[in-house]
Amino acid sequence: MTSSEKKILSLSVMVSLAICVPQTAHGMHIMEGYLPPAFCVFWGALCLPFLVAGVIALRKLTQNQRRSLLLLAMTGAFVFVISSLKIPSVTGSCSHMTGTGLGALLFGVPVTSVLGIIVLVFQTLLLAHGGLTTLGANTFSMAVAGPLVTVGLYQIGKKLRFPKLLNVFLAAALGDLLTYCVTSLQLAIAYPSAEGGIGASFLEFLTVFAPTQLPLALIEGILTMVVMVGLQSYAKPELSLLNTQRRGLFL
Amino acid sequence: MITALLTGAVLWSLLVQTLPPILLGAVTAAGAAVAFFFRRHHSHGPVAIDSLARRSLLCEENAFWKTGVSVLLLILSTASPTPLPPLLLFGFLSAVTVLAGKIPLKKYFSLLWLPAAFLLLSTLTLLWDFYRVLPENEVLSLPFFGGWLSVTKASQSLGRLVLARALGAVSCLYFLSLSTPLPELFWVLRRVHVPEVVLDLCMLIYRYLFILLATAHDMRDSAASRLGYATLLKSFRTTGLVYGRLLANSFRRAGHCFDAMESRCYTGKIAFLTQRKPLTGKVICLLSIPLAGMTFGMFLT
Repeated sequence: MTSSEKKILSLSVMVSLAICVPQTAHGMHIMEGYLPPAFCVFWGALCLPFLVAGVIALRKLTQNQRRSLLLLAMTGAFVFVISSLKIPSVTGSCSHMTGTGLGALLFGVPVTSVLGIIVLVFQTLLLAHGGLTTLGANTFSMAVAGPLVTVGLYQIGKKLRFPKLLNVFLAAALGDLLTYCVTSLQLAIAYPSAEGGIGASFLEFLTVFAPTQLPLALIEGILTMVVMVGLQSYAKPELSLLNTQRRGLFL
Repeated sequence: MITALLTGAVLWSLLVQTLPPILLGAVTAAGAAVAFFFRRHHSHGPVAIDSLARRSLLCEENAFWKTGVSVLLLILSTASPTPLPPLLLFGFLSAVTVLAGKIPLKKYFSLLWLPAAFLLLSTLTLLWDFYRVLPENEVLSLPFFGGWLSVTKASQSLGRLVLARALGAVSCLYFLSLSTPLPELFWVLRRVHVPEVVLDLCMLIYRYLFILLATAHDMRDSAASRLGYATLLKSFRTTGLVYGRLLANSFRRAGHCFDAMESRCYTGKIAFLTQRKPLTGKVICLLSIPLAGMTFGMFLT
């Protein structure tokens, strides 16, 4: 095989993978019972500091300003609702947003991680998506690692004086992308491949889930951007309420 | 169609060289046929599971007992050293959910199909590995870019174990979520001392979720009737605008709701009425059997 033939072959493999993906693409959650118990405990323990910090922050927030409890509840319900609604997608499959990037930009990481774990429990019990034993792993990837990267990138972009909307897009899209990488890593650590170890198996999981997750990250970025534009024009007073509490970043 | 092919591929690589060829072909074809039959993704939405749970006959049973045993069974199922006990658990709990809870069988099956995409793709990844030289104990191999993609005996047994554990765990989850409405679960969590703030937040989220969902559907319908989703680019814009509006709306609604609560003497504590449900012999019997079976299964090798 010549090199150009090889290229064409691998291109065709990628195209066929991209088109032949299963019909549903949620933000990637590990399903119930898929991780061995030791890993469930490990990832859960890793989330614990963030959750404790989040609960402390929540308590303070609701004691100082009770109104914000309802604001948070509404945001939680909103994140759940958008994660259960279909969004337009390129391949005709039905995909769903994660929405935690949005939460992180509005409320900061600790509060988002508590909101995130609540939304994950709701998704598990009401949408049969995710799991109770894998709750720790999913919380780490979706409600801790993703928001951390989103907020970090947003801060860096702000320092570098990126245009605001481009910055939101990049932060949300890359945060979502990282969520998917972390999930693949979690699967790879739990089930390393026989010859190449964790590295090879990480690569395998990345490739298998890439066709559904890459477009999803882009869409997440675009939608977060448009939602922010909408919020700026419709919900000025509420955003300024968040601003006085110095929680939100996007203000 | 693709899910059916995937199911066939997974079943074939799981069982090849452990069953006689005719039986193997039959199992693979049957799996693919079932997948093809349920290929349509039914959009359930959060309302479906919630209403099924409230209508289930098991809804009248004690929530603490149901939750406790489900969690124990979940742990035992994911820790099981052999594939057989979780598979039996899957059969038993599915039967309990469908027969004792009177959940329609068709609904139960289509719910089971939800995690299929994840399960099939990741099991395929577990089964097939890339090797530079043909490994020992291989049962199926394909040449691939100067090496081999192979299924080995070890990866087969790992795949079977993981698949069985996941199925057992999913049946526990469905037993819980199809028999216990969320507010009762929050009551259980309150009894095990999960922070009050978090549970208040959960309860409020649960109550608002259905309102927001209805609003979102109305908004989407009205946007669609104005050709808001005509092209891909337009549909991105519309979706973003609908979501933005929805969030702004819900912020506003939160404000109104707070005013209403404060006028009714809200002091930071929300109390909900929960109905006491006594523990009955029926559910103790139903759940003790799998508990005993799974505990015994832990000692099998």
